[in-house]
Amino acid sequence: MAISSLVFLAVVLGATGLFAYKASILFRLAKATKGPVWSGNRMDRLAERVETFFTNVLFQKAVLKKKKAGLMHVAIFWGFMIITIETMELFAYELFPGFSLSFIGESAYATLRLIQELFTLLVLSGVGYAFYRRLVLRPEGLGKSTDAIIILSLTSGLMLALLAMRSFHILAEPNDNNAVMFASMWISGIWQSLGVTPEVASTMAAGFRWFHHLLVLGFMVYIPSSKHLHVLTAAPNTFFRKLETPKGMRKVNLEAEDATSFGAGKISDLSWKDTLDLYACTECGRCQDACPAWNTQKPLSPKALVHDLKDSLYENKLALLSGKTDEVKPILGSKITDDVIWACTSCRACESACPVFIEQTDKIYEIRRNMVLMESRFPAELQTVFKNIENNFSPWAMSPDERDKWTEGLEVRTMAQIAASGEQVEYLFWVGCAGSFDDRSKKVSKALVSILKKSGIKFAILGKEEKCTGDPARRAGNEYLAQTLIQENVNVLNNYGVKKVVTACPHCFNALKNEWKDFGIELEVIHHTQLIAELIRSGKIKPTKAVDEKVTYHDSCYIGRWNNEYNAPRTILASVPQLKVNEIEQNKSNGMCCGAGGSRMWMEEHIGTRINVKRTEQLLEAKAGVVAANCPFCITMLTDGIKTKELTDKVRVMDVAEIVDQATV
Amino acid sequence: MNIFVCIKQVPATETKIKINGSGTGIDTTGVKWIMSPYDEFAVEEALRLKEKNAGSTVTVFSAGPSRIAETLRTALAMGCDNAVCVDTPEEIDSFQAAKCLAEAIRKEGKPDVIFTGKQAIDDDCAQVSQLLATFLELPYATVVLNAEYGSGQITVKRETEGGTIEIIALPTPCLIAAQKGLNEPRFASLPNIMKAKKKEIKTHPMASLGVTDADRKIKLVNMQLPPAKAAGKKLAGDAAAQSKDLVKLLREEAKVL
Repeated sequence: MAISSLVFLAVVLGATGLFAYKASILFRLAKATKGPVWSGNRMDRLAERVETFFTNVLFQKAVLKKKKAGLMHVAIFWGFMIITIETMELFAYELFPGFSLSFIGESAYATLRLIQELFTLLVLSGVGYAFYRRLVLRPEGLGKSTDAIIILSLTSGLMLALLAMRSFHILAEPNDNNAVMFASMWISGIWQSLGVTPEVASTMAAGFRWFHHLLVLGFMVYIPSSKHLHVLTAAPNTFFRKLETPKGMRKVNLEAEDATSFGAGKISDLSWKDTLDLYACTECGRCQDACPAWNTQKPLSPKALVHDLKDSLYENKLALLSGKTDEVKPILGSKITDDVIWACTSCRACESACPVFIEQTDKIYEIRRNMVLMESRFPAELQTVFKNIENNFSPWAMSPDERDKWTEGLEVRTMAQIAASGEQVEYLFWVGCAGSFDDRSKKVSKALVSILKKSGIKFAILGKEEKCTGDPARRAGNEYLAQTLIQENVNVLNNYGVKKVVTACPHCFNALKNEWKDFGIELEVIHHTQLIAELIRSGKIKPTKAVDEKVTYHDSCYIGRWNNEYNAPRTILASVPQLKVNEIEQNKSNGMCCGAGGSRMWMEEHIGTRINVKRTEQLLEAKAGVVAANCPFCITMLTDGIKTKELTDKVRVMDVAEIVDQATV
Repeated sequence: MNIFVCIKQVPATETKIKINGSGTGIDTTGVKWIMSPYDEFAVEEALRLKEKNAGSTVTVFSAGPSRIAETLRTALAMGCDNAVCVDTPEEIDSFQAAKCLAEAIRKEGKPDVIFTGKQAIDDDCAQVSQLLATFLELPYATVVLNAEYGSGQITVKRETEGGTIEIIALPTPCLIAAQKGLNEPRFASLPNIMKAKKKEIKTHPMASLGVTDADRKIKLVNMQLPPAKAAGKKLAGDAAAQSKDLVKLLREEAKVL
């Protein structure tokens, strides 16, 4: 082996060793986190995992949700893939002088060369756009990052080194096949006109080859400690992602004898998947752009949260690696404050925007759990809510004896009456606390009852036996209180053998559908918009009466982003005669939260501007007289927003059920 | 310090009260029982005082039927160290309750301070605190909004009729009855709830403390719900007509003019 080969080998081994060491620390840190993974198994359904890997890693589907930045990324990503072939070829050449991939055939090799030449230029233009974005456009979500500038400089350095190397090589060893490398050819023409001799060109080519080698190896060593780590972690994170959109909160085993702590108080309480999430983030800022809290000047940015959690992981490296978890510092501190954690509306806009499938809400929920269960640390307003749920089985201070008062004069039967009469019903109508106690929402309950009666579907309610699902407590971290209520409700449902449930509350819907199976009941849960859409489709109700209104539709987070239902409410609206629907830009998965999710409904909004007002302003863009919604809390928040804008006599908020009730006989 | 606190279990604030069949009390079926909210201020104050004085213990007392153990556990979960239950029949009067508590307290040594709520929100009698202090021959202050703890003396601000504030100093030991505003009661953490489940609650049957039916000073003859409120009347017409109607109604129907 030539001396230069030996030197190269030593450099490669050294760099690889350094990289392996740094990577092994990341691996060990991930292993040192002991928390359970949300939604359990991440190694099942391999075919689907491979599929998502192809669509979202190789074909960059999620990245391309944002057009310009997406295309830029595709150019750089595929360039990296294609040019790595050349890098490997050059590595082999350095070790075994004379090595070339030309054995694949002359025309194949020429094609490869052409493709590599094209991608070199594509990467350069991609990086050029990236520089332009960072330095000139400066979108807010991207923020300032020295790391990014280093990475972009290294990437463009690599491409320029390749072009320089190729151009000098062309001059040193002229060959007809070099014509495919049109750009390098053109540059080599410049060298020629400057009088560079083949001998000098040969030296220069070797020099740039070495420069490229060193940049590649240096980059490799740099990656594990930079945000560019995503080149290694985005793919596994996509592979191990939660495959389907709907998800429930992880059930905590509160009875576990050995449990000394609940939720995530320290970074070690999170799971390996959470750690991988932190590694996979490259701070693109899409989550922050989508975050209703951030966009109304709250201290929460999902991007900053992920970044700060990663910092917490690194800051506790020694304690984590030596297994001294009691020395790991708390997550909450100067960067991740209480206000950051409580600002989240759990709307999942961040998760929906994330191109690498990071699950931010899980972490926030786990941190809240620790704060509430272990330290009773929460906004003061929540104490009243917890007490009400505990004592009155509703977040409101209302008597449980009056839960069914809204049915007076409606002839709605209870499950108890149904059971006593020996009859059966198809659906249990889960009314929920809002539908039972909130004056505005009671009207929606009544509209739904009216529709169900028109359709002839047999249904009943639980009446006084219904209790809060515990969801407002659960999402505020009070797993203990929530589980008490869930269990009591599950017992009642099981007692009546309930199988099918319809509800007009997306929060009840999500809890019943996605969470209660952990508590011993399998239910077929349908949201009222889904049921109404089906009733219209099957002709059981017919919207024949014209509703001469212009409507815009507001997607609730828990029917939309949490459960992927965007069509049912829209098909309903489309079926109402004369009703005109004006969609706004921020709809469906890009819709903005009303501000009530994640138990924010029950907290004061002390910081920044109001989320509901911002959302109302977006909806007002539709210039519609009616805002259609599907959630009692959205209705409350948007009605308030319209009041703030002093447009109460011009714009109304209606539940989809109310519109349908109006349109049917 | 030896800190004592007395609490009462009452129906949850939003309970729809129904009278039992014999008219001797409320129908307790399906009632959710809670710690009387004023007593929560008392427990919180006791715990805060304990936290400021290392080595102190807080003992919580209650008199009532066996279901009160649940409420005593709530106090334990908030952070009280010991709990004492006086097991009584369903209906006892304030005099009996105070006597039960006084006798139970005597068995636990000398208090430095006793906290209670200013009244329980069920019968709103507001008598037990004063009776208890009298039985134990202690000075007391009721409706306390603020307390400052000095050595051998507690200075309290108490609310009096008409919204004026009275500032008085009491020598310790003494009894303080809490008004809303004294503090913000804490919410029990899960580990404390779990620990409280395992704690022992010392129980005295009422008779063992020498309290009997003969101690009862109030005999309940009959209990009734207040008559249902009649619906309001909306006056129509312009302002002049409305005023005229209103005066007429106030004179003829309400008979207040």
